[in-house]
Amino acid sequence: MSSRRSRASVSEEEINELISRLQTLLPNARRRGGSQASTTKLLKETCSYIKSLHREVDDLSDRLSDLMSTMDHNSPGAEIIRSLLR
Amino acid sequence: MASTSSSTTPAAAEVEERGRKRKRADGAGSTAAGGAEAQPSKWRTRREHEIYSSKLLEAIRLVRAGSSSSSGSGATRGRAVREAADRALAVAARGRTHWSRAILASRRRRFQAVRRARLRAPATPPSRHNAAASAAATGQGSSAPPLAEKARMLGWLVPGCRRLSFPTLLEETTDYIEALQMQVRTMAALAEALSAISANSSSGGAGSSNSSAA
Repeated sequence: MSSRRSRASVSEEEINELISRLQTLLPNARRRGGSQASTTKLLKETCSYIKSLHREVDDLSDRLSDLMSTMDHNSPGAEIIRSLLR
Repeated sequence: MASTSSSTTPAAAEVEERGRKRKRADGAGSTAAGGAEAQPSKWRTRREHEIYSSKLLEAIRLVRAGSSSSSGSGATRGRAVREAADRALAVAARGRTHWSRAILASRRRRFQAVRRARLRAPATPPSRHNAAASAAATGQGSSAPPLAEKARMLGWLVPGCRRLSFPTLLEETTDYIEALQMQVRTMAALAEALSAISANSSSGGAGSSNSSAA
């Protein structure tokens, strides 16, 4: 089901719709009517956006792991966190 | 709506509260933009957010249990948290997307690869930049248009999507970006709540709900 390569492949219309859906997700969603931001540029923006999201997740993971380490100290806050994570 | 919060401490309530506030703000906007199928807005529902929050907490708990015995260096623990968060995200996708299946499948492979790497010299996985540079160098001369190059880079970024057709790749990317956005929101809310707790406790006010900017 993943590769439905019919003779005419997927119609260009569907591809354009998918691309526009993707475009609305990006932070710089310019909604000028019919502005054909070239697909190449769009894909490039998507790549850099995904990379920045990855970096954010990495930073947040580091922050969370640091916060976890504070749990090992005995303080009322650590108690709360520990009960959260129990 | 049965919110599956396991604890009733104010901190847990605050985490859910913050999540709900953010979801409300996003939910109002996304119902207008929600596509024909229910799938595009799947990652923006409050329910999904709650599911992911609880999975994330569980995953972090496991990481904590694991790291207390092994090395507790900051970098490895951060990466463990990241991988646990990714896995929780993939599980939340309920196996309907390529990238989620790839994340869950690759974890086992990576585990074995780490074991093998300990015996030999550390084998670095093909870094994206190297591969992208070499592909770009050959792409110009060959018949592949620059569009295909960008599409290929996208396929590298989204896990498990290197060999998909273009439209499928676009669908996967859309879903992946939405999932990542939810992941970032959830982890940020969790980190904020936890740091607010520890800041509060260190200053002496134990457990008072800190209603800073939500």
